[in-house]
Amino acid sequence: MDLLSNLGMGFSVASSFANLGFCLIGVLLGTLIGVLPGIGATATIAMLLPITFQLEPVSSLIMLAGIYYGAQYGGSTTAILINMPGESSSAVTAIDGYQMARKGRAGTALATAALGSFFAGSVATFLVAIFAPPLTAIALEFGAAEYFSLMVLGLVMSVALAHGTVPKALAMVVLGLLLGIVGTDVYTGTPRFTLGITQFSDGLNFVALAVGVFGIAEILRNLEDEHERQVMTRNINSLFPNRDELRQIIGPVLRGTGVGSILGILPGGGAILASFASYTIEKKLSKHPEEFGHGAIAGVAGPESANNAGAQTSFIPLLTLGIPANPVMALMIGAMIIQGIVPGPSVVTDQPELFWGIIASMWIGNLMLVVLNLPLIGLWVKLLTVPYFVLFPIIMAMCSIGVYSVNSNVYDLFAVAFFGLLGYVLSKLRFEPAPLLLGFVLGPLLEENLRRAMILSRGDPTTFVTRPISAGLLVLALAVLVLVFLPQIRRRREEVFTESEG
Amino acid sequence: MATKPRDDTDMIAGLLLMAAAAFFGWQTTGLEVGTSLRMGPGYFPMLLSGLLFLLGVWVFLKSFGREGEPTGPIAWRGILFILPAPVFFGLTVRGLGFVPALFLTSLIASQASVKMRPLPALVLAVLVTIISTLIFSYGLGLPFRRFGPWLDF
Amino acid sequence: MTLTLTRRILLGSALAFGLAGAAAAEFPDRPVTLVIPFAAGGSTDVVGRIVAERMGQELGQQVIVQNVGGAGGSLGAGQVAKADADGYTILMGTVATHALNPLILKQKPYDPVADFAPVSLLVLVPNVLAVNPQLPANTVQELIDLAKTEPLAYASSGNGTPLHLSGELFKAMAGVDITHIPYKGSGPALTDVLGNQVPIIFDNLPSASGHIASGKLRALGVTTAERAPSFPDVPAIGETLPGYETYSWNALFAPAGTPPEAIAKLHDAAVAAMADPAVAARMGEFSATIVASSPEELAEHVKAEMAKWEPVVKDANVSLD
Repeated sequence: MDLLSNLGMGFSVASSFANLGFCLIGVLLGTLIGVLPGIGATATIAMLLPITFQLEPVSSLIMLAGIYYGAQYGGSTTAILINMPGESSSAVTAIDGYQMARKGRAGTALATAALGSFFAGSVATFLVAIFAPPLTAIALEFGAAEYFSLMVLGLVMSVALAHGTVPKALAMVVLGLLLGIVGTDVYTGTPRFTLGITQFSDGLNFVALAVGVFGIAEILRNLEDEHERQVMTRNINSLFPNRDELRQIIGPVLRGTGVGSILGILPGGGAILASFASYTIEKKLSKHPEEFGHGAIAGVAGPESANNAGAQTSFIPLLTLGIPANPVMALMIGAMIIQGIVPGPSVVTDQPELFWGIIASMWIGNLMLVVLNLPLIGLWVKLLTVPYFVLFPIIMAMCSIGVYSVNSNVYDLFAVAFFGLLGYVLSKLRFEPAPLLLGFVLGPLLEENLRRAMILSRGDPTTFVTRPISAGLLVLALAVLVLVFLPQIRRRREEVFTESEG
Repeated sequence: MATKPRDDTDMIAGLLLMAAAAFFGWQTTGLEVGTSLRMGPGYFPMLLSGLLFLLGVWVFLKSFGREGEPTGPIAWRGILFILPAPVFFGLTVRGLGFVPALFLTSLIASQASVKMRPLPALVLAVLVTIISTLIFSYGLGLPFRRFGPWLDF
Repeated sequence: MTLTLTRRILLGSALAFGLAGAAAAEFPDRPVTLVIPFAAGGSTDVVGRIVAERMGQELGQQVIVQNVGGAGGSLGAGQVAKADADGYTILMGTVATHALNPLILKQKPYDPVADFAPVSLLVLVPNVLAVNPQLPANTVQELIDLAKTEPLAYASSGNGTPLHLSGELFKAMAGVDITHIPYKGSGPALTDVLGNQVPIIFDNLPSASGHIASGKLRALGVTTAERAPSFPDVPAIGETLPGYETYSWNALFAPAGTPPEAIAKLHDAAVAAMADPAVAARMGEFSATIVASSPEELAEHVKAEMAKWEPVVKDANVSLD
């Protein structure tokens, strides 16, 4: 098998002194920009893209990939420290990561995220190297009907994200789905819910929504009663997970890696589900599901691993088909074309150094990330000792810049303010933002694929059950519904009556 | 009225959901609904609005017969200064330019805390502006004008 | 809405100050912003970034790329239409911003002729009609025959895009009915055609070229009047359907009222950039044909494109609010 020789070639390309340097610069810059609140991976890459133009194609893509990992990790750092996720994936990390931080376990949460990401990244990189072509074939089997069924499965699982009552969690999902519809209808071009504002014709900006309902709502909560309420505990425990905690994260990391690797391959938005799915699985399997939402370490380890594994495997459709799985990958394609590389199936055969060099650099990038970030954790945690009234004006300034920089759309900034208020009102009414966010990202995909499947089947709804993959996913959704929700609803009922804590 | 136990928070929550559902439903009225087999742009939103309304009713009804927790204080000062900050930045970044817009935005946001005194607020805003300008404008070369046309003379 | 009103007042005063501030110094004495009305990573963005870098060297001032995506390019184009007419803000216009959107949109955010000063038509980019190799059609004629006997569907990058309308024009001229399946962008549309979920696609040649070269897609015809130099074996659709011709294009525009000296400088820099062998090579890989026209030629081109697309848009009954 020439896999070894290919990987060898890849490593010799990626470990040249210059390329190692570019990888390091990429990871470092990605982390530093991505850690700024309100600036997620997409914004970070868009900002740093021009820097890479002057380089050789291989170096440029290696550096971009480094920026991507760095930005992803930086985004998780902000989610954990100040509850401000910049991407849909880190929104899940924020749920328990931020609660850990408030309890003085920010260091543990960050180290867990770093270790989980590294493990998941390493495994997924090898999956990419070995299975890229056959996995692509599977991805192409997914048509509109399959994506619709996958999204249904995602929605069924989503309610488990919430630790409040079922109807309120469902209401948040539905509200999220409705907000996701804002914009131009793909099929007819009719504007929906845009209130006549052209700037919203491409939909509401995800970052604006996430920053608003998570980050700004949290700032407002912290400002409620400044004299009484302490945002962070002063006593911060050890930075690294102890032996017991390490044992707790092994299972979640393994499962998260598996879930993320599989979902990341699907170009039609599968990776979005990765961290949500992992969170649901961990909560279901946990002996202490009540800890979820209050700082469960498994709720950080699983989703972070899933997220990072998905980030690696989402390179598969990019490298083998030249098709972007997400906006970040679209930027990578743009960068390849600017470098004179036509992305597509021919890249592997025509430019093996490039293909295998990028794969090798994925692993090197992940290694650098963990080496770089473990020492930085101490620094990030120190940031939490900065008095809150100094921290939040900085956060507001940074997220204003971050949200504006993506598309220079001032309406995105107005949306931040609106969603900040909405998020605050919702939290006052004890609604949770995570299901809302999931509904928001799934809504357009759900509807688009439902309608496309119906057009393609010429109005025959049996298409969802006659196509085997779609049918399998729907059966799975049904199984989750039956097995997971019935006991859960019963247990929740009991909880409601025994304890008043929400 | 106050004799029966009632969770006020959930009651308001239910009413709010119903109001939101009504709003979305009203916005859907102009859209073509189509049929289940050939869905129009209004089909899905109509379905969801209906569902949201029912969930609102559910939450509302559940609020009776049990005691709720108090909502706690409301961050009026936060709402007054935090939320306008990004709006102000959006309104002025093109006209005033990046530097003054960011300076004023930080200054507005800093007023949300009662602990922030005027002088430290000024120092903080200056620092945030200088560092951000160095990073984003000089370092990353983002296409913002540092000083906008309103300041040209 | 009050917000829009305030914004308009602010923009108005911005304009007044801007005009007063336009100094007599030699143009350009500060960086020029090139607005790309689409998200980063797309084909217009790529063309824009390649040109911007080279133009910057010619002008002696950096040309900064700013992506203002949204509403099929209308937001970015509308922003440049309202920008200070001093030559420091220019637009990478396309067939969408300067021919299709103005015809399709019910509310017109700008006038493609009156609001802009043309600078140069840079490149023409062919589109391609391609099918999944499992579809039993090897030529345009066989596809037309097949479409007459069984129901088919084609994928495009979205409603009202040049690719959608290329498909509609094809249907009208061939006298067949093929169901249009719109996607959000070219990538997902391509994926579904590669996986044979949808058998036919109209796509930009640059985005499909890798798949055509590797045999994962069968190109039946390019949409330009002539065959594309990068794919000499693929016939033009016009060889089967005489008169069929569509293509995407990229052109530089400044806001109307920009001083002629600034237009001339921008035009010369753009033409010099396109003449650079390195840029030409990139554009060749991209299957784009370099035009580098004069401002007058671009003005004519916009009028001709609008005249050409108007009946197609009407017949296809495409309209967006």
